[in-house]
Amino acid sequence: MTTAVSLSAEAIADRVRDAQTRGARLRIAGAGTWLDAGRPVGSSEELSLAAHTGITEYTPGDLTLTARAGTTLREIRDAVSPHGQWLALDPFGSDEGTLGATIATASAGPLATRFGTPRDLALGLEFVSGRGATVRGGGRVVKNVAGFDLTRLLTGSWGTLGVITEATVRLHARPEADVTLAVSPSDDRIDVGGVRAALKRWPFVPLACEVVNDSLGRELGLGGEAVVFRLGGNSESVAEQRRAIAELAGGPAREVDPSVWRSLRAADDDATLVLRVSRAPAEVSAAWADATALTAPFASARVSASPARGIVRCATQAVGASIEQYASTLAGLRSRIVAERAPVHLWNAPPLARAADPLQSRIRDAFDPQRILNPGILGERAVS
Amino acid sequence: MTSSRGALAPASPPPAIDRSLADRLAAIVGDKRVLFRPSELLTYASDALPSYHKQPGLAVFPGTRDEVVAVVRELARSNVPFVPRGAGTGLSGGALADGAVLVGLNRLTRVIAVDPENLTATVEPGVVNAALSRAVAPHGLHYAPDPSSQAACTIGGNVAENAGGPHCLKYGVTTNHILAITALLPNGEIVSLGSASGETDGYDMVGCFVGSEGCFGIALDITVRLTRNPEAVRTILADFLSLDAAARAVTSIVATGIIPAALEMIDQATIRAVEASIYAAGYPTDAAAALLIEVDGADAGLERDVATIESICNSSGARTVRVARDEAERARLWQGRKKAFGAMGRISSHLVVQDAVVPRTKLPEVLDKVRRIGEDLRLRVANVFHAGDGNLHPNIAYDANDPDESARVQTAMHAIMRACVDAGGTITGEHGIGIDKLQYMDLIFSPDSLAAMCSLRDVFDPDRRSNPGKVVPMHSCREWHGARSARQDAAKGPPVA
Repeated sequence: MTTAVSLSAEAIADRVRDAQTRGARLRIAGAGTWLDAGRPVGSSEELSLAAHTGITEYTPGDLTLTARAGTTLREIRDAVSPHGQWLALDPFGSDEGTLGATIATASAGPLATRFGTPRDLALGLEFVSGRGATVRGGGRVVKNVAGFDLTRLLTGSWGTLGVITEATVRLHARPEADVTLAVSPSDDRIDVGGVRAALKRWPFVPLACEVVNDSLGRELGLGGEAVVFRLGGNSESVAEQRRAIAELAGGPAREVDPSVWRSLRAADDDATLVLRVSRAPAEVSAAWADATALTAPFASARVSASPARGIVRCATQAVGASIEQYASTLAGLRSRIVAERAPVHLWNAPPLARAADPLQSRIRDAFDPQRILNPGILGERAVS
Repeated sequence: MTSSRGALAPASPPPAIDRSLADRLAAIVGDKRVLFRPSELLTYASDALPSYHKQPGLAVFPGTRDEVVAVVRELARSNVPFVPRGAGTGLSGGALADGAVLVGLNRLTRVIAVDPENLTATVEPGVVNAALSRAVAPHGLHYAPDPSSQAACTIGGNVAENAGGPHCLKYGVTTNHILAITALLPNGEIVSLGSASGETDGYDMVGCFVGSEGCFGIALDITVRLTRNPEAVRTILADFLSLDAAARAVTSIVATGIIPAALEMIDQATIRAVEASIYAAGYPTDAAAALLIEVDGADAGLERDVATIESICNSSGARTVRVARDEAERARLWQGRKKAFGAMGRISSHLVVQDAVVPRTKLPEVLDKVRRIGEDLRLRVANVFHAGDGNLHPNIAYDANDPDESARVQTAMHAIMRACVDAGGTITGEHGIGIDKLQYMDLIFSPDSLAAMCSLRDVFDPDRRSNPGKVVPMHSCREWHGARSARQDAAKGPPVA
């Protein structure tokens, strides 16, 4: 059963309380573009917020915006662009994803290099807890320490503590210049660790810097392996950054169409397995090597790295027996592995299958004692 | 979460803190590290907010991590409430231990590890904020959050309060710079929160712990993100003949896309206090307000940003705009700002500093309201604040020994808070709730929201022994045990110093 809620937060609270009474379990959905992410949910009912849309407060001079959870990133982009502003969140997928889902999953894309992740940009939330109570955390201003930080607790909680119904986020003014450059290695393969070390020495912070493997680079029209930079700032600053890029990445830089970022975010829509492999940033080369080992059997595996953050993302269309190979390779890696999407039996294999953290379980009990919301996600054994 | 309230019934009152507890704690930390006499405890009866005086029942000062753990486990066994305390620079009464055991953490000052490659450091909670930046300076790094009390305040205290500071406009507040915490829960359990690499796949436990004001336990060690020193810095002082013009300049600067490292406003009353003090910075004493603006980053393009800011200030009505010529002048300009509260000591014996946030576009309107509140109540309200964030700090110099003036100060504080909330703001931007702001929590949070906070607290501290009576008003948590002060205050209304 799917219900698109279009009424109010109260209607959502009614729905949760109703589920509580009936002992039903709810799968929370935004636009429904990423429902197979984050571990299978054991629920027969869906609570869709796709129709719970609309920007409720936006004063451009405050650089903050409040919107209902089902509002898409595209709607926000269209509303704030005329004022020279943007919400600097670019989760993998597309701008058809919703604000609520972006915050609930704490999904972050290339722009996290400069602007951080949803936890850095979410200022306040309204949510309906698993007890059916309507709760507000945080506020609508850029700085706030009133009360315990429910906003950060809910950010990245994958809907397991509450159904986010509204969020206030921080916006940024768009930089005067915004340029995308690609550098392809002239001889050998790209040294991801070298890019990171160079970024660390660089006096600039790029808006984004991603290293893409051969397969992904070809798909993005870059010809093969490449480092893609997004540079922002005033025109003088960007001109200087352009001059320095070739030195940074070890090859000649060419300007490419900024749509490459949209393509990069959408590239793994058809992947059956998406993993984030991470280490401390100084060990990003090792994370890249681990990702390469994982994807070695698959010629079309797409791998990208955010060198400044030490995170490597790999996506494949792994099926059948190859999953066993994945599971055994995963178990031998020293990197931290976070799965975004995986077949059910891989969720239940080490290291993706983990015992729930007791403290986190207690938090879940406090907000959703009957485990009504998204049962199965986060630390619990996947439902087959 | 109203339905959960039944589960939040008050626990039984704690046993009295007596000499035998002091002896048991002395067995862990040594005789000299346990204070029991009222005259010794007087030192810890206040934090930096002079409106409240509440004496701890006992104070203990562990010197090592193991001692902290042993002390807290002994307190758990004895069912005694406690209050963690760093340097006591807090401005909301959050570190007051009314009859509870004060656990002083300022002896835990080790920088445990510095990892310049990964831009992190792991420190003990008592490390002083500015000392951390000094310790990592040889690597060309610093710790970005810079409260004005940074010469004294500790990283543990910063974590508890989610402290901010002038440079948080660009670099973010404490929570944006904490990667991992080893926390000691009030029952003596040790838990690891977050990860040094910053990537976690469960709840944001670090985000949850930071800003919990000591109600979730004690941070035994803290892994922070370090920030590279910028290649270049420019500091600009612009002065205006009206607060309104200065506030308009703030909004216009932020709208350009330039994110200044800091954007501070200092009004005339503050300027005059600073200029009459040993912290004189060369601010023009006849200006209605001055903006202290700093931009930093790569050298290339920075002069363009400075020129843009100068132009905006001029077109907003600035009388003069000047850029600090050298590091000495820059340091002097900043000293005036950072020591402004201290300089207020010249005006009166006591000072209350309010801390509230309003949407940036509401600054002119709210500042005007604050001015009128001061006039109506015959009080000297001065403003020095983080204008780029809309984080106001109206402060009032007064004589706490004058009951009439003290009462008017409290009335003004309420009126200012109400004005900020009515403008869409919040009741604290960086100083926390502590005791002082409890009375305002109902202005911005519903009973269900407060009950949700109580439930979260119960996860970490079901007996509510760690910093009892703080952050969430008692009628929401029914947290009566171990919090005599709040109980008394609730009975007699708003506090009057």
